[in-house]
Amino acid sequence: MSPTHQGDQTPDRKQGFTRRQFIVTGAAALLAACAPQARTTTTTSAPGTTAAPGTTVAPGTTAAAGPSGTIRFLNAENFWADWSPYSSTALSQVRIERQIYDFLVDYPSGDISQPVSMLATDWSQVDELTWEFILRDDVTFHDGQALTADDVKASVELASGFSGDSAYSLWWLPAQVEVRDNLTLRITTEQPFAALLPALGWHTPILSAAWLGGDQDRLASEPNGTGPFRLADDTVEVKTMEANTGYWGGAPNIGTLIWEFIQDPQTRLSALLAGDADVIDRVPPEHLGTLQGEGEVELVSSTAIESVGLFVRPGRLPLWDENVNFRRAVNWSFDRDPLVDNLVLGASAVAGSFIPTNTLYYQQQEPAYRFDQAMAEAELEAAGDNPEFELWVAEGFQPRAVEVIQAMVAQMEQVGLSPRIVTTDVGALIDDVFSETGTGAMYHLSWATNGDPAPASAVYSAAFAWYFGDERLQELIDLGATTPDPAQRQQHYEDLQAHMWEQVWHVPLYNSDFTIAHSSNVQGMLIQPNVLRTDFHTAEIVA
Amino acid sequence: MVLVVFAVVTIVFFVLRLTTGDPARLMNPPGTPEDIITQTRERIGTDKPVLAQYGEYLWNMVRGDMGTSFRGDTPVREAVLNAVPNTLSLAGITVVIGAALALLLGGVAAWRPNSLLDRGVLAYVALAQATPAFWLAVILVLVFSLRLRWFQAIDLTGPKSFVLPVTALVVTLSPVLIRTVRQSLIETMGEDFIRAARARRISERRLFLVHGLKIAALPLITLIGLQLGFLLAGAVVVEAIFNWPGIGKLILDALASRDFPMIQGGVLVAAVVFVVLNLLVDQVYGLLDPRIRVHAR
Repeated sequence: MSPTHQGDQTPDRKQGFTRRQFIVTGAAALLAACAPQARTTTTTSAPGTTAAPGTTVAPGTTAAAGPSGTIRFLNAENFWADWSPYSSTALSQVRIERQIYDFLVDYPSGDISQPVSMLATDWSQVDELTWEFILRDDVTFHDGQALTADDVKASVELASGFSGDSAYSLWWLPAQVEVRDNLTLRITTEQPFAALLPALGWHTPILSAAWLGGDQDRLASEPNGTGPFRLADDTVEVKTMEANTGYWGGAPNIGTLIWEFIQDPQTRLSALLAGDADVIDRVPPEHLGTLQGEGEVELVSSTAIESVGLFVRPGRLPLWDENVNFRRAVNWSFDRDPLVDNLVLGASAVAGSFIPTNTLYYQQQEPAYRFDQAMAEAELEAAGDNPEFELWVAEGFQPRAVEVIQAMVAQMEQVGLSPRIVTTDVGALIDDVFSETGTGAMYHLSWATNGDPAPASAVYSAAFAWYFGDERLQELIDLGATTPDPAQRQQHYEDLQAHMWEQVWHVPLYNSDFTIAHSSNVQGMLIQPNVLRTDFHTAEIVA
Repeated sequence: MVLVVFAVVTIVFFVLRLTTGDPARLMNPPGTPEDIITQTRERIGTDKPVLAQYGEYLWNMVRGDMGTSFRGDTPVREAVLNAVPNTLSLAGITVVIGAALALLLGGVAAWRPNSLLDRGVLAYVALAQATPAFWLAVILVLVFSLRLRWFQAIDLTGPKSFVLPVTALVVTLSPVLIRTVRQSLIETMGEDFIRAARARRISERRLFLVHGLKIAALPLITLIGLQLGFLLAGAVVVEAIFNWPGIGKLILDALASRDFPMIQGGVLVAAVVFVVLNLLVDQVYGLLDPRIRVHAR
């Protein structure tokens, strides 16, 4: 290669694309590529007509204004799954699926003992194993197909694991469905299933039988439900829904519902305060004070039906597996109240049992594990050993998780225990749980359920990684799930809670705070701590 | 260029699969039945041996298929190509404004070295250099979006959306550019050819603006090329804070979910853009200074 000599007058006679042409073309192409893809901002607009549920317009009359306005919800959790409901139980997906799919029964009050009709207008128990349901006759799927008992049959049998693999089969007993006529069906389970109605109300969205039996890729990408909203647009981080004006329960008030994943809580907060978003998810404790002082923002807080604790992996810490004194020593070695009062804040509550406080048949257990150095040291001495163990915590998963663990470990060390904190991200933590070469003994995790004790206690059963082979525990879990009589069921769960408290196979900490913040001109949302439910069918934008 | 991009893609591919975090388990809460986990792995393709996954990935790349996201089956190419212009526009405007600011403030400072103006500019440089982009971005939102309500806090909705994120990036980028221009100008104005021109009674202003600034712009171009990588990295943070739909945010969100195809696609495109921009910088540099034009034999 030779440099051009300064002063060289020889013109460039090269054929083809010259350097200057290349630069001009390249610059033009770059400018074209730089044209930004502006998002169409959907801001809260003037309120639309608030239609009472079930309002219909008589033919020939002027129709009242339909659903209008947009609500933008900023989600804290990524959208992990596709639209096939039975392929995943990821909470972020469960929440948005509830806008698109309906269930046979509903729990609008959140009280798990008070089901109301949804797609089923009536139900009755035929015998110990069988329930009969009668469906509404005015329900259609988003594609126009009418709902029939065959659709419920396909959905229930799949959900329960009877007809295929289902992520929800853990909340079910295998169930077979008999279609008696177009709108009548009977569900028969292999054993008496005490949690049938909660399973139907929380874990069994009703899909079209034709779709379930058809193209699975289509099912995964084009949800076809009977719910108040239908999917209008779907990207990795933004799910846009539009109102289903033909919804059997009355068209929603709002026209468009946008769910968007924004990882950073500060960004979500700024968006809400600036008016760029209407509702934000999972307000962290450090933001509660900021929001409480804002006149145009409202907070909705409740104690989540979520157990947060140290889940211990069987086999990783032999002394833990074998020695109840060591387990009790750990539980006596730190104080839970300051974690709730000073770190986690909000509506969180100290765990008084291994199932969350808002769960049916919850019973506060005694003794309440508080920091008791003398007791902890005595139990540790009775254990006869004091091995070092790894305590894993994920950053950015539960609020203030790392600070909580650090506070606990400081007290644990005071009584002579030897925990070693391993801070990582949630992916690596889960990997370590299931890895054969995993080194963690305890993991800071959580388990959120619908308020029925069956799924709340199932996490400690043999079906999960946290089971220590306690046959009495498994027996009580099975009895609780299969005893329909309320009084007997209550007794089983009281026995179960007492047994778990005595054995302390894990380390219960608290039931977390569930706080959502919304613009004060958005009203009527249904927010429940049960599986962090956030429904917008009755939501409206007010002036 | 092809070799560089290939190396980047390969390294990212294998590093992702060697790090901890099974995407199939992340998509399903702990306790999900193992057969569902297995089904998920089959659906997303992580059940195959790593080398088989790599071969399939390369073959798809040759056909222009970047795969589909683990999260909901969105085509990666579509997501990435939608995001790239947003990052390029952010970075491009930042570079233009940063360069203009560098020439202006660097020139002002070099015009009268050690004057009050010069010291003022150097004070700004010191302050800006000590200011992290993420902190500044949050402060800008707090003041201009939440308190004054002059700008929106998040999203790209039009030209006005650029003001705050570009400000944060310009403040991060400009200090080193300003210092370089200032120093280069001061040195250039002491060169013999400037003295000779001065002796021919060319005005000081013309000497400074035409002859001096043109020479001083050369290291500026080089520096911009070198800073591109840092600029793109800074854009990642700024994109997260402003919910800017660019490649940085796309990769950041994909990382948290171990969304391998999206991470790979994002990094690939970012690498290509980076290499192309550096090539362009080289060409522009040659255009400005004929002495360093190089011809292939």
